[in-house]
Amino acid sequence: MTCHRFFLGGLRPGLKFNYSNGGRDRSRPAKAVTGHRTPKVMLEARDISVKYGSRLAVSEVSLMLAPHEVTTIIGPNGAGKSTMLRTLNYGIAPASGEIILDSQPLGSYSRRAIAKRIAVVAQEADLRFPVAVFEFVLGGRYAWSSTSGWGWETAHDVEVAREVLRETQLEELGDRLMTELSGGERQRAVLARALATEAGTLLLDEPTANLDLAHQAAILALVRNRCDSRGTAALVVTHDINLAAEFSNHVLLMKDGKTVAFGTPDEVLTPDLLKEVFAVRVLVDAHPISGVPRITPVHEVLR
Amino acid sequence: MLKQHFSQFQTFAGTRRVLALVLSLGLLLTACSKLNNKKTDSQISAHQTTDEAGRTITVPDTVTRFISLAPSLTEIVYAIGAGDGLVGRTSYCTYPAEAQKVEAVGDTLKPSIERIIALRPQIVFVSTASQLEAFTNELEVHHIAVYVTDSHDLEGVFHSIERIADVLGKRPQADELLKQLRGRVSAVAEKVGSRPPVRVFYQVSDEPLYTIGREAFITDLIKRAGGVSVTADIPGAWPKYSAESALAAKPDAIILPTGGSMGDANSNVASALKRSPAVANGRVYKINDDHLSRPGPRAVDGLEDLARALHPEAFNQ
Amino acid sequence: MTISSSTEIVPKHRILRGIDGTRATFKKTLFVCALLFAALVLIILVMSLLGSEKLPAQASLCALLTFGKSSCGLTGDQDAILFDIRLPRILLGAAVGGSLAVAGASYQSLLRNPLAEPYLLGISNGAAVGTMIALVFMGAHEWSRPLMAFSGALIATLVVYRLAQGRTGATPERLILAGVIVTTFLSSAIVFVTTLMDATRIRSFTFWLLGDLSGSTAKLLWLALFIAISGTLVLAAHARSLNLLMLGERDAFDLGVEVSRVRLIVFIVASLLVGSSVASSGSVGYVGLVVPHLVRLSLGSDNRITVPAAAICGAIFVVVADTIARTIIAPRELPVGAITALIGAPLFVYLLRRR
Repeated sequence: MTCHRFFLGGLRPGLKFNYSNGGRDRSRPAKAVTGHRTPKVMLEARDISVKYGSRLAVSEVSLMLAPHEVTTIIGPNGAGKSTMLRTLNYGIAPASGEIILDSQPLGSYSRRAIAKRIAVVAQEADLRFPVAVFEFVLGGRYAWSSTSGWGWETAHDVEVAREVLRETQLEELGDRLMTELSGGERQRAVLARALATEAGTLLLDEPTANLDLAHQAAILALVRNRCDSRGTAALVVTHDINLAAEFSNHVLLMKDGKTVAFGTPDEVLTPDLLKEVFAVRVLVDAHPISGVPRITPVHEVLR
Repeated sequence: MLKQHFSQFQTFAGTRRVLALVLSLGLLLTACSKLNNKKTDSQISAHQTTDEAGRTITVPDTVTRFISLAPSLTEIVYAIGAGDGLVGRTSYCTYPAEAQKVEAVGDTLKPSIERIIALRPQIVFVSTASQLEAFTNELEVHHIAVYVTDSHDLEGVFHSIERIADVLGKRPQADELLKQLRGRVSAVAEKVGSRPPVRVFYQVSDEPLYTIGREAFITDLIKRAGGVSVTADIPGAWPKYSAESALAAKPDAIILPTGGSMGDANSNVASALKRSPAVANGRVYKINDDHLSRPGPRAVDGLEDLARALHPEAFNQ
Repeated sequence: MTISSSTEIVPKHRILRGIDGTRATFKKTLFVCALLFAALVLIILVMSLLGSEKLPAQASLCALLTFGKSSCGLTGDQDAILFDIRLPRILLGAAVGGSLAVAGASYQSLLRNPLAEPYLLGISNGAAVGTMIALVFMGAHEWSRPLMAFSGALIATLVVYRLAQGRTGATPERLILAGVIVTTFLSSAIVFVTTLMDATRIRSFTFWLLGDLSGSTAKLLWLALFIAISGTLVLAAHARSLNLLMLGERDAFDLGVEVSRVRLIVFIVASLLVGSSVASSGSVGYVGLVVPHLVRLSLGSDNRITVPAAAICGAIFVVVADTIARTIIAPRELPVGAITALIGAPLFVYLLRRR
């Protein structure tokens, strides 16, 4: 079986439209994907273009985020991945194209309404002022506070925050200052805050960038868990292709602001496509345990 | 190898020689310049004298070019007939009218050093009231003598007039002037001497509230005019005064220096004094501030203005 | 999945840790503000008994507590000193102190810079230039002073903010640099305007520039009090947004804060606060820097507590500083800004070293 995959260089017939394969991670629910869309779509972006001055950072990219699904955006630096992600909650205004959230255009929602439905997990927060972890996570409940009054948190807010801390295994660290946490714990706190918003869509911008192996897997496992249990839709921008292969239902491959490919990891993470985008020769085989595509770059080292 | 060493030694010695030459040239030049200076110094006969700040300065025996950096000193210069030698003044020196034809070198607080030096004065007259000590050192470097005046009362002003006249060689004219001034002063003293002194508040500015203290020569003027300043004991010359104390002082007369160089500023009594006996009795007097703020010959005008205000009955004959 | 926890470090900086944990709650805020307000009232009463003229303590207290309705044995002059001169000045000090402290706290949260302060950022100078222009060119109109002060403060704020914008936004370092540039530029502008004035006014202006609470009219006092109280309330209402903005503008936006709207409101209200303070009493420095810092050290960074608390503590600070300024060399006076700087600068150095 292994030799078969290796020699064919990645294009494995029979895997095109079928997810389940021998050895795949069984914790993931077997859901058929491409060609059979789940009826409810959380967030849809159609032909989004974003301009920085005169430069086109994103050019007519379309995306669909459905519940229970993790979508990853992969691409080289400057491909417009983060820009694309930021556009989805109007963090950056698109020059053209439309974004539909829960069947209504994004522009029709107020800032708070968007925040209740879409949560963003960026890299570490700016922590110049001392703030306790619990307070930090409570910040996620802002969108749910009433616009009048000073915005004091309700008992329900506190309950949600506690629950989220439990989920991210930070409950013992609630009273600590954010600056006293390790990098991995801080990132989990940022994720916890996003989860506290109870948003149906999670946008994660390189959440594993500065984390070690253990923490990387932990974060994405949390996200995957959330999607599976609560039907959240997640969009992850990452540089780690293997992690993407492991955790995502769909992969969007971008280069120079354009879509190169969109589909399941098996469809997109092929040596030809990856070479086209990254200009690096790769070998693609199946992960020995989970069966997902495993990408190994081939480095031409000059001696 | 020997050649290498030798050539190095030669260049080393060569450098030393050049250095020695440069050094000796430098020494020679400085010696020559010093000699030259001595020559220019000894060309002009001068003498040493002490100014009113206790400084010993070297003053030429005949002074033909000088600068005044205070309005009061400019007035003194013209009053003793030495106006011809005045080659520079401040922009505030507007009295007498002839003074306005003289070139201005800036204001009293920060006059232009370059201008002063370019005018080649032999001496510059400075008043401590204008806080000019800061740059007197600079002028000394250029061999321009600086004479500092410092008067805290009317006698001090007369003393300044005498000393300035000494320096400018106008002693006879000064003596004549002082005779007249002293005469007027005695006349005032005669008229008001026997009367009980009036309690006076001298308002320098209304907002913020400034008044005069112990060191101001106006305090002496008020005393001679038959009054007593309610702030006479306060240290300093121009203290900022507490509104409460002004109210509690309850002066019987208020002097508002205004109308001269100040224009119409300070023409209102400060709100803290609105309840005072002075206001109640209508004893608020506006006097030309130029008569009161310049320790020069017009201070006697100010004395007479004050006396007329404080003791009008004495002047009605 | 087990990830090792970090080492045990207990934050010692929270005074009210014991009450309901470290989180700011409505009850805690109310309690703290009530306590501080009671302290302020007490201090105002005590400071009213001090001044360059001695007043009988008991009679004065009695008169104060009856709001001046009964004279309690004070003479007409003593009554005038207490109610026409001393009390208005103390109230003005409270308004100015509160305004500057709240403005400082808001700038620090919005600009994410613990060093942001109206004085250091050149905003006080902007208000001062505005006031001076009003005095020199529009002296006749009484309302021109606060109006021009407010405009000056607002323009200075916008210039500093614009100057500090780099590709990565307004970092603290760029902000301080921009503030220094604007402050020095405006200082020379102030010097320029003073040369347009005659020599006799220069002395009084120099005094005023250092902060002078003595020369104010009743109208300006009411305006200052009104602006101080309403400004504090408006900024306190936006305290939660400020909490989020303190952690980054992008994060705040993602969490639902209308960043540009809040920023605009904070800038305008803070400029009003600074403008009204400077118009009535010149630039009193260090209040907007030191008071919010101390408040944050004791009560935490939650703006819902620190904004009202800073207002009250700033009032206390300036009232006490002004009392020192008007009694220490009585009957002469020092500018209150000199006292706040004398107390504030060493305190600021101490705070810097603590971090």
